[in-house]
This record gives sequence, C-alpha cells and structure tokens, in this order.
Amino acid sequence: MEKLAVVVRIAFRNLFASRLKTAIVGGIILVGALLIVVGTSFVGSIVGGMSRSIIGSAAGDVQVYSSKSKDELAIWGQMGSDPDLAALDDFSKVKAALEKVPNVKSVVPMGISGAQVTGGNTIDLALGDLRDAVRKLKAGDTSPKVTQAIAAEKAHVRHIVTVLQGDQKNRAEIVSDTRATNAEEDAVLAKASDPAFWQSFDADPYAHLEFLENKLAPLAADADLIYLRYIGTDLATFGKTFDRMEIVDGTTVPEGQRGFLFAKMFYEENVKLKSARRLDKIKEGIDLNHKTIATDLDLQRMVRENQSQTREIALQLDDVKAKEMVARLQALTGSKETNVEKLLAEFFKTDDANFHARYKAFYAQLAPLLDLYRIRIGDTLTIKSYTKSGFVKNVNLKVYGTFQFKGLEKSALSGSLSLMDLKSFRDLYGFLNPATEKEMQAIEKEAGVRHVDRKDAEAELFGADSEPAPPDTGRDIVANATPGLNAVDAQNAPAAAAIHDKTVASAAFSQSELEHGAVLSAAVFLKDPSKLRQTLPQIEKAGSDAGLSLKAVSWQQAAGFIGQMVLLFWAIFVTAAIVIFVVAVVIINNALVMATLERVREIGTLRAIGAQKPFILGMLVVEAVVMGVVFGTLGAAAGAAIVSAVHAHGIGATADIMYFLFSGPRFQPLLSVPSLFIAVGAMIVVSAFSSFYPAWLAMRISPVQAMQTED
Amino acid sequence: MAAIVSLRDVVKDYDLGKVQVHALRGITLDVPQGEFLSIAGPSGSGKTTLLNLIGCVDTPTSGSVEVAGHDTSKLSERQLTELRLHTLGFIFQSFNLVQVLSVFQNIEFPLLLQGGLTVGERTKRIEELLAQVGLSEHIHKRPNELSGGQRQRVAVARALVSRPKIVLADEPTANLDSVTGQNIIDLMKELNHKQGTTFIFSTHDPKVMAHASAVVKVADGKLAENGGNPSGVGGAAAGVEAH
Repeated sequence: MEKLAVVVRIAFRNLFASRLKTAIVGGIILVGALLIVVGTSFVGSIVGGMSRSIIGSAAGDVQVYSSKSKDELAIWGQMGSDPDLAALDDFSKVKAALEKVPNVKSVVPMGISGAQVTGGNTIDLALGDLRDAVRKLKAGDTSPKVTQAIAAEKAHVRHIVTVLQGDQKNRAEIVSDTRATNAEEDAVLAKASDPAFWQSFDADPYAHLEFLENKLAPLAADADLIYLRYIGTDLATFGKTFDRMEIVDGTTVPEGQRGFLFAKMFYEENVKLKSARRLDKIKEGIDLNHKTIATDLDLQRMVRENQSQTREIALQLDDVKAKEMVARLQALTGSKETNVEKLLAEFFKTDDANFHARYKAFYAQLAPLLDLYRIRIGDTLTIKSYTKSGFVKNVNLKVYGTFQFKGLEKSALSGSLSLMDLKSFRDLYGFLNPATEKEMQAIEKEAGVRHVDRKDAEAELFGADSEPAPPDTGRDIVANATPGLNAVDAQNAPAAAAIHDKTVASAAFSQSELEHGAVLSAAVFLKDPSKLRQTLPQIEKAGSDAGLSLKAVSWQQAAGFIGQMVLLFWAIFVTAAIVIFVVAVVIINNALVMATLERVREIGTLRAIGAQKPFILGMLVVEAVVMGVVFGTLGAAAGAAIVSAVHAHGIGATADIMYFLFSGPRFQPLLSVPSLFIAVGAMIVVSAFSSFYPAWLAMRISPVQAMQTED
Repeated sequence: MAAIVSLRDVVKDYDLGKVQVHALRGITLDVPQGEFLSIAGPSGSGKTTLLNLIGCVDTPTSGSVEVAGHDTSKLSERQLTELRLHTLGFIFQSFNLVQVLSVFQNIEFPLLLQGGLTVGERTKRIEELLAQVGLSEHIHKRPNELSGGQRQRVAVARALVSRPKIVLADEPTANLDSVTGQNIIDLMKELNHKQGTTFIFSTHDPKVMAHASAVVKVADGKLAENGGNPSGVGGAAAGVEAH
C-alpha cells in the first residue's frame, strides 16, 4: 500500500517534472476527453431528438406489421415511394394477441401512406367560386348575395388577367427576342381582357367559364404540388397514446367522423402563403439565431425572394381588395406608387432596422386582405388515390385543424406526418373486407363490365357535361396519389364511381368498425422500453400463437432510412473516436518512450537500490494513469463547460439539413452525464495502454545504468 | 574477521558485438567486514566493473562473487535485487537522487521498498540520519535546491537508511570540489567507525585514497602487483594496500 502511495506520489511529482511530456501527453488526453464529452453530448442530443421524434410522433416503441409483406415497413417512405405491405385483416385480433405480452402497454392501429395534393391555384379557386355562384343563379337563386358574388369574382378574375398581362409584358421586355414570347398566350390574355368578352359572359356563362378554365387557368400555374404524408389511425386512441399531441388550430376530429388534421409544421411550411412563411423564417433567424439581414446570406435571399415573388399575393386580390391593399401599402411605405406588385416589392425591402415593424404591419394590416393558407381549416380536401386493386378512389375529408407534439414542435420529422381517420385511410388504400367485396361484385354485375375505347373513356368516366357536386361548402382541393396515371382502368369506372359515392355518403362510422377492420401496422408502446429487444420475439410469438403472422420491429427499423441514419451517426462517431484513440495511443506512446529514455539513470538507480522490475512497470503505468485521470478529468470538465455554453447560447440552424438534425431551428445539446465517466475512463485506458511499451522498456533498464555518468 | 565480500578468480567479459572486452581478467579478493576499502585505478581499469559485481548489479562471466554469504551467480535477478535492497547501500558519482522527491522522501524510498516499518519508525530513523549528515534543516527541500555536497550527503543517508552491511560508492567525490569531497569522505568514515558498516569505494583521487583502511589497485582488469597488504586485509589476496 505504501509502495503504491509512493508510486502515486512520484507520478504526481513527475507531472510537473517533465513539462514537455506532460504538455504533449496531457494535451492529447485533455482534448480526447473533451471530444468524447462534446461528441457524445452532441451526437446523443441529435440522436435523442430524432428518436423522440420518431417514437413520440409516429412509431411508438415497436411497430408490428404483417410478415407476409413484400417490403419492410418504412414510416417515412423508402426513397419517395411507399413500401408494399400486406394488410393485417382484423386489427382487433392483433390487439388482443399483443395485449397478452406482459411488456405491452398500448396498441394503436395505423396505416401510413402518401398522396400528392395540388394546393389551391388562386385562379382555379376564383373560377370555382364563380362557377358555384353561376350555378346558383341558374338554379333560380337571384338573391343579391349571389349576384354580388358573381360581380366580385368576375372582377377578381379580370384583375388576375391584368396581373398576368403585366407579367407577359415584363417577360417580353427581358427577352427581346420575339420568338420567346408565346403568341397563343398573348391571344388568350387579349381575349380575357377584352371588355366585350365580359359583356357577353352573362349570356353564356358556362362557355365563358370553360374558356377561362381551360385556356387561362394554365397560364397562372402558381400552384405547387404538395406531397402529403399521412397516418390513418383511430384518432381518439392515437391522441390518448401519443399523449404529447396537441391541437394548435381548429379542433380535433369528432369521434366516429371522417376528417383530416394537418401536422402544424407541414401546414406552415407547405400550405402557408410563401411570402408570409419567409417573413416568419426571417424573424426566427433574427430573434432566435441572432442573425442580421446585413450579414446573413440566407436572410438576404429570403428578403430578395419576397421582393421578387409578389405575384402569389397580387393574384389573390380582387379589385376592391387590391385598392385597399394599395392604400395600405402607400401608407406603410410612404410611396406614391400605384402598382400593387411594385408596392409589395417596396414593402418587402426590409433591413435590420425596419424588419420588425414591417413584420407586424404585414400581419396586422395586409394579412386580413389575404388568405394566409392555401388550404384553410374547415376546407374540404379531396384526396384521390389509386387503390391496390386499381380503382380510383376519392375521399373528401374536412380539414379540422392542425396538431403538433409538445417538445417536438420544431422537429421536421414529427411535423411531416399528418393524420386522418382510419376509415378514410382504408378507403383510399383500397382494403376490401368480405362485406365490401360482396357489395363490389354486386355493383359490378349491375353495372356490367363494358369495353370502352380509349377515345371514349373520358365521356364514359365523367359524362358529357356532368358536374360532380362538391360535398361541402368549403373549397375543394384535389389530391392525386399517383400523378401521371390518369387514364387507368376506365373499365372499372362505373363501379368505382358507385363506391366513391357510397364512401362520401357514409361519413360516420362506429368504433367497432374501426377495431375490426384492416390496418397496415400497429404502433406498440412498451411498459419498459429498455427491454425492447427481448419484447420483439415475444410479440411475434404472441402473434403466431393467435394464428397471425406478425413481424415486430423496433422504432429504429420502422423509421427506415431515418432510423438507419441514427445508427449511422453513432457509427461515424464511434469510428472517429476509435481513430482518435489509435492516434492518441501512438503519440502518447512515443512521448512516453522519449520520457523513459530520459529517465534511464533514475530508473537504473531505483533498480540498483532494490526496486524490483514489476515495481518499475507499475510505476510507469501508474504515472500514465495519473495523467489520464488528471487531464481526462480536466478535459471532461472543459467538455462539460463547452456543452453547457452551447446549451445556453444554442447553435442556430443555417441549412435545412441542420433543421432536420437539430429537430428545430436551434441546437441546444444536453450534457450527457455518463459521457463524463466514459471520457475519463477511456482516457485512463488510453494512457495505460500507451504506457505498456515504455514501461516494458523501463523494466529492462539495468541497474548498471545507474553507475553511468551524467553525460 | 570474516570476509563479507569474497571474489574468486573473477573474470568479466563484455560482448560488444564483434569485439570482446575483457574487463576483469581473474580477480581474487576478500573484504573483511567493517573495512573502509578504496578501489583505485585509472579509467578503464575495470574498477567500476568490479564495483558492479560486488554491488550485485552484474554477475561474473566466470569465477565466483560471494556477498554476505550469497554466491551471486547462483541467484536469480529477483533475488539479486532483494540482496541489494537489504544488504547493500549505493552512493553514486552523480548522486542519482529522484528529482521529484524531497530529501526526506528520497531517503525514505528504500524503507518503503523494504516495508515493515511504521511511519513513526521511518521518520525517526530518517531524522536521526539527517542529523548525522547535517541536513536536518533541509528535510523538505528538493534535490535541485541543494548544493552538490548536500546532495551527496542525502545520497549517503539514503544508502545507509536501510542499515546495509555494505555500502558501495562509485567515485563519490568526483563531482565535488576537494573540500566538499573531503567532508563526504569524513562523513563516510565516521559512519564506518560508528556503525561498523563496510564501505567499498572507487576513486582515483590519492587524497581520498589516503583515508582508506585498505586500497586495492586495479589495472587492466587485474589487481596491481605492487600493492602490499601489511595489515593482512583480505587475507592472502594480492593488491590490497592498507594504511
């Protein structure tokens, strides 16, 4: 014991005796420990954020799906397409089987899929409203409300035409080559702006509308395709089980009703007016990440885009609103300009001094004149998909509101999945239960399967001039799950149409309908998530006991490539750490060998006066370990200080990938406490390991060396 | 008196690659207990090799070296180290103190290796020794705060702290000025008288040699022919010169 004490004492004294060695070895150990603490905390926080997002917003701890599936489950898709999963026909059986597993806490039915939605094109919406009003008029409603609506919408459309003409003129100015301008487009615009066209409108409104819809509308292609990814689920159970879920705007979908809820972040990011969204982002950059417009290129880009991309706003304005907008903009900017777009460009010319005032003014004065969201709460969203059996399915869903998850508000992962009721999901996905299958066959028989020529397909499908009636008073937005495949299965059209009508009609459903129907997967929460590995086989066993072929995967696997990414981050970090270790061992080893060679006489002396070889070996290893402890602790402390400082100040995300990794706009890593011990421990191992060779060399030093003279 | 060190026909060759160096070419020597023996000779004469063999840090190529009754060529490396720890004390030409330890800790070191004493016992013994070598007020200083002479006194104390039978000193005064060197020799001699510890030291300084109770002259790996042994030290061994 006393020998160890003296060895430790010598070791501590040696820290100060050989300053160069201490500086090199200590420096490396310090940096190593620091990197471990910082790295583990950073990677841990990123991975932790992603895991929380994955588990808390979609996957649960475990996902269960049919083992007969062709592909593996991937909640966020596989490179843009959905995995081909076999359905689990009766969820209630799955639930009953899983609930027998002791570690299972709750089971939520699910289906995850996606569809492309064309988010409202302003001119389509205006023309749609115009057509609605005209139809009411034709139906005999001559109330002032209807006639006023017709007048207002006509004015709006004419305003849009003016805007488009302006665009055309600008384009012509930029591209002096006349061949670049399109004569056909000019002709359409000329006709649409001709007062004579509008005078004749009331005489034959449908023909005029058809011209406007077919010729004019395509010119104003300001609508983006929105790719919606959604979970179809038992919304009540989902809300209870994913208990951090909260409604932000609107309400939840009433029980037993069909409905759609937008993920808040998705709604903001993809449905909101782009100018407004950019203002929000600039504000976030300034307020949260302390950037300035003067210095940050990203903010500058957004300011420029807001100045140049004013058409989305201009198109929304009818005559009345346009005038009001001009007046307000003139007051706000002090400009005498009368052109809305130029005024908007002036208004959006923001810098660090006026940004916050402009931001407030935008929401207080300009936003009331605009639709901030292309799809509003209360609108009806038509999601159109091609079912697995090849039918076209339309489901009309009311958008009830938006939701987010507490603590995951900024997570791009959690914010990307919207929700719909399970019944609608089943319709869209084309599940057939025995009852609907029978019904289908009856309908097919009744309708007769006829051969229809390709050229007649359209007429067969839609009839000559039939107008599918919108099911709700809100606007219609058409989603198309497989764009580009529009001419499919004309033969089945009548049957499909029949089913379509039926699904729209039977809007409500019972809980037992939900429970007994088909699902694609089930999210399982565990009582003890740390026993996940052991629970997976138990779940599969419970499935096979109940005659179901179930496959259970961890949330990580269920997340597909995102889950792989979580693993990849750790793998990269661990690899980097190992490389650092190896380099550290080599350098420390070298430094210690040098130091040992300088101490030959001292070690020889100790041997001469009676120290055994193991004592020398132990002495050098203890010396290295002491350095590992001292500098490892210092490094870990420094690392902890850095992590705390970063946590306090935060790192602002500057690129989309960073938003994704940070699960939000700011990265505030949490100190990983175990990493402190891991860091010190690892550094002790590294230093001990590095000291073996020099210690072995030292052990071989002969006591004769002590006798040699100083030089 | 019985010989505490006894060498018989000791030959030591060093194999330096292709060249063989015959450091000792057959030495027979007996050193009685309590001797204050000086080994004299020019550089390269083999006196350091001789000291190494007596000091059990090396073993002979042939012949036998007996130290305190142990034939060193029959001992393992480990046993040799034990022998050094308990039976021998060393004083080096360049003092060889552990720079990072204090005076007290340097002297304490062999006791810690030996074990068996309590803190109090150790402290008492070290303080007594320090008083004897006249360094009581420097007990907590580091070697680099001391003069050369003081350092060598610490080394002397370290060599004696484990109460060895034999103290070996390799040119103990070579790095000291003559007055300081004289003091060290006086100190060694005093300890030799008081405690009866056998001292064997090498030197080429005639003034130092003059203090020895006997002088062994080495040249070319052999004991010099001219050395007499009037006091009968070392029995029949040649080359031992007494004063």
